[in-house]
Amino acid sequence: MKTSVLSRPPLHELESKASWLALLMLAIGLHIFEAALPSLGPWFKPGLANLITLLALVLMGPKHALSLAMGRVIIGSFFIGTLFTPTFVISLAGGMAAALVMIAAWRWIPGISLVGISLLGALAHMLAQFVTVESLFIQQAALYYALPPLLLLSCISGWINGALAGYIAARLEP
Amino acid sequence: MCDMVTLAANLSSRQNMRNALKGTWTDRILLLVALLCIALSWFVIQANIAAGPAVAEVYYDKTLMATYPLPQKGQASIHFQLEGKLGLSEVVIDEQGARISSSPCSSQRCVLSGSHRHAGDMIACVPNRILITLRGSSASRFDAIVE
Repeated sequence: MKTSVLSRPPLHELESKASWLALLMLAIGLHIFEAALPSLGPWFKPGLANLITLLALVLMGPKHALSLAMGRVIIGSFFIGTLFTPTFVISLAGGMAAALVMIAAWRWIPGISLVGISLLGALAHMLAQFVTVESLFIQQAALYYALPPLLLLSCISGWINGALAGYIAARLEP
Repeated sequence: MCDMVTLAANLSSRQNMRNALKGTWTDRILLLVALLCIALSWFVIQANIAAGPAVAEVYYDKTLMATYPLPQKGQASIHFQLEGKLGLSEVVIDEQGARISSSPCSSQRCVLSGSHRHAGDMIACVPNRILITLRGSSASRFDAIVE
């Protein structure tokens, strides 16, 4: 009787997967924590889970950041009981838009730091949520009346989260 | 000695955080552009919604179902039910403003948000597809809660 030998993946590959999973679990935890916070406005959250997407982007690259953004919304929504509800769709649209805009800014805007990338991500997140609600759920332009003050809050949270991400990334780099 | 090393490390990390908060010139220019766009859109929206008497507009999905004037002190309040996607939502418009008093949605955030009576205020229940916006001459102030 022959026994098949499973090839062991290289250590650096395992380390990379473990780091991504650790960030994913952290992002899911923050997603659940943010869902429990009192609402400051329609679809406004401090964006702490988005901070982890930004960390994944600078530490691991765009593919990992995008998959982390999608993974944390799907698994996080499962835990808070909003999977496949309008809240889930709004959250997914915001998370993916933020990840895509942050990747584009990181690649193509010269001289930008994590603060600027996070700022653009926060604004994209808020805009994408309103566009999703307006196009899929409540088709009324009146929804946009609430947008400017929320974008202002997004600027503040995006700037602070970017500074935090920069601080954490500097400490995590070997 | 150990305390000195810890203190130096703390000071250095505080300095790093301060530097991180400053951002680069590119970051500051992006922030300035964003703030200008937000201020411009704020003025345009306020100019549109602050004119005329104070009213509550009630929408279901794409349709404007009703427009009610906000009652002043001593005037009778308005109660009605609105059929949404999930079921009946109950809306109350009284001297304190407009509010959703009951809703079939699971999180009840629209109910918990309470009364709103300022131009630009909004109550939205996305699962039930109901939106109430307030417009007209009153102190323009942001206030909104949704599910």
